[in-house]
Amino acid sequence: MPAEPFKVADISLADFGRREIRLAEHEMPGLMALRNEFATAQPLAGARITGSLHMTVQTAVLIETLTALGAQVRWASCNIFSTQDHAAAAVAAGRGGTADAPAGIPVFAWKGETLQEYWWCTEQALTWPDAGDGGSRGPNMILDDGGDATLLVHKGVEYEKAGGVPAPSDDDPDEWKVVCDLLTRSLASQPGNASQPGKWTRLAAAVRGVTEETTTGVHRLYEMYRAGTLLFPAINVNDSVTKSKFDNKYGCRHSLVDGINRATDVLIGGKVVVVCGYGDVGKGCAQSLRGQGARVVVTEIDPICALQAAMDGYQVATLEDVVGVADIFVTATGNRDIITADHMAAMKHQAIVGNIGHFDNEIDMAGVARTPRIRRINIKPQVDEWVFPDGHSVLVLSEGRLLNLGNATGHPSFVMSNSFANQVIAQIELFGKTDDYPLGVHTLPKHLDEKVARLHLDALGVRLTQLTKDQADYIGVPVDGPYKSDHYRY
Amino acid sequence: MAGIGDGGVTVGQKGRDRAIADPGLAEQGARRIEWADHAMPVLRRIRTQFATERPLAGLTISACLHVTAETAALVRVLLAGGAHVFLAASNPLSTQDEVAAALAVRYGAAVFARADVDRATYYRNIHQAIEAGPDLVLDDGCDLVNTLHGERADLVSRVRGGCESTTTGVFRLRGMAAARELGFPMIAANDTPVKRMSDNRYGTGQSVLDGILRATNTLLAGRTVVVAGYGYCGKGLAERARGLGAQVIVTEINPAAALDAVMQGFRVLPMARAAPIGDVFITATGNRDVIAGEHFAVMRSGAILANAGHFDVEVDIGALQGQAVTVNRAVRPDTDEYVLPGQRRLLLLAEGRLVNLVAAEGHPPAVMDLSFATQALATAWLAGHHDGLAPGVHDVPAEIDAEVARLALASLDVEIDALTPAQQDYLESWRYGS
Repeated sequence: MPAEPFKVADISLADFGRREIRLAEHEMPGLMALRNEFATAQPLAGARITGSLHMTVQTAVLIETLTALGAQVRWASCNIFSTQDHAAAAVAAGRGGTADAPAGIPVFAWKGETLQEYWWCTEQALTWPDAGDGGSRGPNMILDDGGDATLLVHKGVEYEKAGGVPAPSDDDPDEWKVVCDLLTRSLASQPGNASQPGKWTRLAAAVRGVTEETTTGVHRLYEMYRAGTLLFPAINVNDSVTKSKFDNKYGCRHSLVDGINRATDVLIGGKVVVVCGYGDVGKGCAQSLRGQGARVVVTEIDPICALQAAMDGYQVATLEDVVGVADIFVTATGNRDIITADHMAAMKHQAIVGNIGHFDNEIDMAGVARTPRIRRINIKPQVDEWVFPDGHSVLVLSEGRLLNLGNATGHPSFVMSNSFANQVIAQIELFGKTDDYPLGVHTLPKHLDEKVARLHLDALGVRLTQLTKDQADYIGVPVDGPYKSDHYRY
Repeated sequence: MAGIGDGGVTVGQKGRDRAIADPGLAEQGARRIEWADHAMPVLRRIRTQFATERPLAGLTISACLHVTAETAALVRVLLAGGAHVFLAASNPLSTQDEVAAALAVRYGAAVFARADVDRATYYRNIHQAIEAGPDLVLDDGCDLVNTLHGERADLVSRVRGGCESTTTGVFRLRGMAAARELGFPMIAANDTPVKRMSDNRYGTGQSVLDGILRATNTLLAGRTVVVAGYGYCGKGLAERARGLGAQVIVTEINPAAALDAVMQGFRVLPMARAAPIGDVFITATGNRDVIAGEHFAVMRSGAILANAGHFDVEVDIGALQGQAVTVNRAVRPDTDEYVLPGQRRLLLLAEGRLVNLVAAEGHPPAVMDLSFATQALATAWLAGHHDGLAPGVHDVPAEIDAEVARLALASLDVEIDALTPAQQDYLESWRYGS
């Protein structure tokens, strides 16, 4: 069924992408160590992995680590703006191939997809070519970021079971209508019948499990599990310490400021910046903004996080308290409608608004667009000036989507090496030890989390102290770990 | 000389005088001075050098300084250089009596200083320190130089010059110079790059917070700390308060300093708006009435008031007293509780005087090491160069500042690069363009 082996913006960018991948490999010691460790064992041989994750240079190193361990891989990005076109091109061309003779993996991703294109890409990544035995095949593993691939499979199964796709209501977001359209067409082309269930039901049955990258996706998985609708086991990679703490905190600490600078080149020192949400992402954002000399004000709904922010020396206020005095607003909540059109109407002229939480609904862009007599002026890619009827304007970065990915290049390689080493280990676990992971949402065992950290120490010149047997006995842990109980919070 | 009326001991001894609390404390003071000496490697190096070169041989030095173990290290350097040293305290509360005793009994300085004296005694001590007719003076706040000009004008003409170690003192000296009332050259030892960095920023920054914590045992994390004045002291305070997790608000009257604070990410507000939201107020302005009646009236109950500036005028204690229904002295050491109408309690630390000296131990010795090294080298330099210097306020010669930094680096085993001849040539040439 898939008509094209891959779809990227410009395959001729492959050489540039390969050069960047080569540099990134040096900065991703965890992934490279896993390639060495499992070069002969090939623990992912037989795995067909569908990945839905930002198609960046770092992801290219992840993809090629999965293939180096024996997997077949198809890939889509999990965000319409986050693809680095040269990275996608290099992955399509492959390590042994060229732009003219591509020999890489089927990747469907480019920067600036429409919503229709985005979901088409996701479906392509989930659909293996005809294996010669009639009918398409699906993956037996999913590697997800935000849960869109998992969502599409689950909704496909649900609607096949229901015998059709319910009509979306007018209030539904545009994106949901696109998903419904796609599934309506899909169900029409490969309907189930008495002898054979439909495409999505067959596909889901073959999936051994999903490894999920983000807080948002993990949240969806737990909800599905509680609702009894989760179809296959999941590993919550997000909550590995070496993922969430590192990627969310240190990654965002690096890339938030990078994104704001590239988008606006505004001097951050001296500005008042509101960070909405003081979870790991918000903590990293607040720290880097303070480091640049901004005065950071935090908004929170959780009293523990609010108190943490206060104890870290930040002013904690409501958005309404500070909306008229702040210069920059950053959302990092994972929730919707954090910054509304009304908020933006009350902001200072040329206030900057950006989101570093996963989805684009933290800032109510639809509401902004519906504001009567509002004008949108595109300043440059991913930077829009929205001019309100009273003449004041607000700069919105990346249309309210992840600004660190849309305006900069996301987390740096070293941070992603931690996240992705967790992903690779989770894929090996779930694919190789499927029976150890019954239906549910699991986190990686502590010793594997510690292993990920260990793989990164040498590159930083870290010299680790070794417990003596007496010391290990004294605190009741094995000499080689795990060193902390599961509830330890780091 | 006999009969100092404040109960102190006055003994003539080898032509030197003293007015100290208790000579029996000398043993204890000597231990404290030796301890501080270990942390003052730069002064130790200079002392060795002075003992050989004797740059102050036969000269009389009158000094008005905080009488602490660190000051003792400076006095020992001056003595090693051959000077006769007459020392009074530069603050009525800050004298460490055991140090005063040790300096007088063990090291041979004439000391007129004891803790907790009244205003009359404070000035009488200064008079005694200048009585001998100094060739050189060391001042901390300009009280000695002021007293000398105002009340012992007969002694002014023989003074070769001196050093002033505080910003406040230099400010007063400039006023005197502008009015043509300063009779000899004074070196502004407060105002060198090294001193601003180590003493004001790092020394005050750390020790004022130390004083507040010792006096109140309050947790700073999560609290709003209002720092009045964003000079070098204020900068150090604001950074360190932030480091402890406080939310810092800066008040300023100088737009450049205020902008600097803003660019560092601090909230800048007028005191009138900071007063109702602050938990801890620290003044570091060098000016008076920085926290005044209208501010006390709106402060939150439990607010802590501390002063890091030189004099006790930054917090308007008179106004505070006036508003108070009750004053509970020493609810903790160095903490007075002023109960205002409506049972609002304000806590004034160290009676509004330098909280780092009163409630803690002043700057750590390593900080004072650099300040005093500058003064020791500048004093010796003055002794030799006074003829060319007009009355007025002079900067510390840049080579002295560089020498202090060099000695400090050597004591820390830090090596630095030196310019190559080609680099030196490049810097000095105007021929090279882009």
